[in-house]
Amino acid sequence: MVEEYIVETQDLVKKYGEHVALDGVSLSIRPGATGLLGPNGAGKSTLIKTILGLIALTSGGGRVLGHDIATQGQLIRQRIGYMPEYDCLIPEMEAIHQVRYAGELSGMHPAAALQRAHETMEYVGLQDQRYRTVGTFSTGMAQATKLACALTHDPDLLVCDEPTNGLDMTARGFMLDTLFQVVKQGGRSILMSSHLMDDVEHICDRIVMIHKGQVIAQGRIEDLKAIDREIEISVWGGANRLESHLKDAGLTVRRTGRVMRVQRQDETTYTTILASAAATSVQVRRMEDYEPSLEDLFIVIMDRLGYSVKTSEDLLTSNTPTMDHAAGRSLP
Amino acid sequence: MTEDDPFALDDILQTPPTLPVPVAPVPTPVEAPVREAEFLGEVGAGVTGQTRMEAAYGSGDGDDDGVAIVAQSGQISPGKIFQQIYRPWRGTLNPRWVRNWSMLRHHVYGLFRKGHRPWPAYTKVLIVMVTMGALMPLITMFLGRMSGSEELMRIFGVTRANLWGHVLGSFNNICCWPLVTALVVGGMISEDRQHGSSAIYFSRPVTRTDYTLMKFISASLILSMIITFSYCAYYAGAIILNDEGWSYLLDTFPFFLGGFIASLMLVFTYTSIGLALSSISQGKFFPAVAFMGVLFGSKIIAFLINLLFDRDVLYLLSPHDNLAHVGQWMMELNTTYDFPVAWSFVALLLMNGLSLYVLISRVNSLEVTRE
Repeated sequence: MVEEYIVETQDLVKKYGEHVALDGVSLSIRPGATGLLGPNGAGKSTLIKTILGLIALTSGGGRVLGHDIATQGQLIRQRIGYMPEYDCLIPEMEAIHQVRYAGELSGMHPAAALQRAHETMEYVGLQDQRYRTVGTFSTGMAQATKLACALTHDPDLLVCDEPTNGLDMTARGFMLDTLFQVVKQGGRSILMSSHLMDDVEHICDRIVMIHKGQVIAQGRIEDLKAIDREIEISVWGGANRLESHLKDAGLTVRRTGRVMRVQRQDETTYTTILASAAATSVQVRRMEDYEPSLEDLFIVIMDRLGYSVKTSEDLLTSNTPTMDHAAGRSLP
Repeated sequence: MTEDDPFALDDILQTPPTLPVPVAPVPTPVEAPVREAEFLGEVGAGVTGQTRMEAAYGSGDGDDDGVAIVAQSGQISPGKIFQQIYRPWRGTLNPRWVRNWSMLRHHVYGLFRKGHRPWPAYTKVLIVMVTMGALMPLITMFLGRMSGSEELMRIFGVTRANLWGHVLGSFNNICCWPLVTALVVGGMISEDRQHGSSAIYFSRPVTRTDYTLMKFISASLILSMIITFSYCAYYAGAIILNDEGWSYLLDTFPFFLGGFIASLMLVFTYTSIGLALSSISQGKFFPAVAFMGVLFGSKIIAFLINLLFDRDVLYLLSPHDNLAHVGQWMMELNTTYDFPVAWSFVALLLMNGLSLYVLISRVNSLEVTRE
């Protein structure tokens, strides 16, 4: 039977003393790939532990893969493969036996677990290295071994915590392709926690965004992007005049040189822009809908919540001050 | 002209008097790819000579020019060297006892074969040496029997003192059992904390109770294989080598049983103290040293106080002395301690209770998602 929602929670509250880790989290996650986003300390790890049925909740409840998270943790964990962010492998063990042992701990028969370990090691691209001890592996190989451990019992839901952590571009691409295949080819679901928006966008079609223990956004990425729809125009001759005119017309404009992004309010925004251009004698050489990235979306949502957020470019450039979004963002 | 200057159409209408005549580009000949191989059913796919790992992670000989080459289903093209296909597994998962058995097997089988818990070589060597040493009385009796030496049989034969000494004697409890326990129990839980491998257990349908129980049983089984097994082998060997009959068996069995129970108590106590120390640390060094420190330290302090003030009640702090005292009582030997045996028994209960409390509470703190 295919469940409509693989994860469903209602008003989850988890307190550690005075600290509220989860504050009324209500989720409905459909099968497929879902990204779990949020800054450090947002409550992602607590939510993952809740989904794994590992912690006692202060209040609220929910179901994962049809099982109650409060009372059926073992049944949930039989159907979930968890790939932790940090090291979880025994360095002196051979990779193949590490994966086999992971399968046995899920309840697989030893012979079946060994056979399946060979299959999963091949799937993650480590077939030729499977008899090497894990301690001699590079970060990419260790990540792939962790993925093999998570996949060995063929779970319905794969929970990945920062799966590309510490990987170079080549290994990162391999990992993302592999996870993508698990969803598209294997028909399994993935809940992927990551700080890298590109990774989430590469694999997931849905996201859950958490901040301070609360869900601030959830749903299809495409639908969520609609809240930040902009029209990008390239102009020639009198960009300052056009910008002022558009602002006077009540539109929100971001500008770098001759390129401007105007927030799309409705269908009339296009004609307003053209009318302004005609009125200010400015040539519009290009006009198109701007496709926002997931990072743009994250910044907009945090901006609306009143938080100042650095973009990836800011983080890559030292001495760059945090953008004041209330005063208008600079274009990427 | 700046971007703020008004746009002047005349600027671009003034075309230059002569325009350069465009020259058609000469196409560069491109060499056709070498089509000499058939790979994954596709004729012409280039054989790069790279293994899968070289391709995926740039390891091995192709380190410098390694690129990720992953052929997804239906997209194989030249240069893609393996096809990534997700194969579902259609088996059924077994119940709790199978998972627990796999944990027990992982730890115990690791002493004998590869593919299970990787015990260090020095631990294996020490276990072999201590086991051989524990079986030495049996070997000596065998040699005495072969050579007809009655003296050897008399010295090493089964007596209350010899059986008590095998399990609870000072030599074994200073040079043998504590060392083995320290090495066996030392890294049992602390290494899971160090390597983060507790996540492998707790993200699966393994409860913390099962985890603790199986670790405890595994450690105590290994210690029992050395201590209790050698004790039983010694007793059985003496009966066989001396051609003893049923009456001897009936006479000696009660104090053999006392020693047997004492050996189980020793294994239990040493395991619980060792695992408690293992659960509060990372790595195997601290728990091993701390275990021997607890054992020898308490014994030395009690010995010094007894020497200086002629008061032996501090032996209640020493796990080995409490076990020795209770063992003497169970085997009906003359006690060497001035305080009642009940005190030693209660002290043992408290030690085990405290150790198990520490063990359980620290296992509960093992993380799945390290924060």
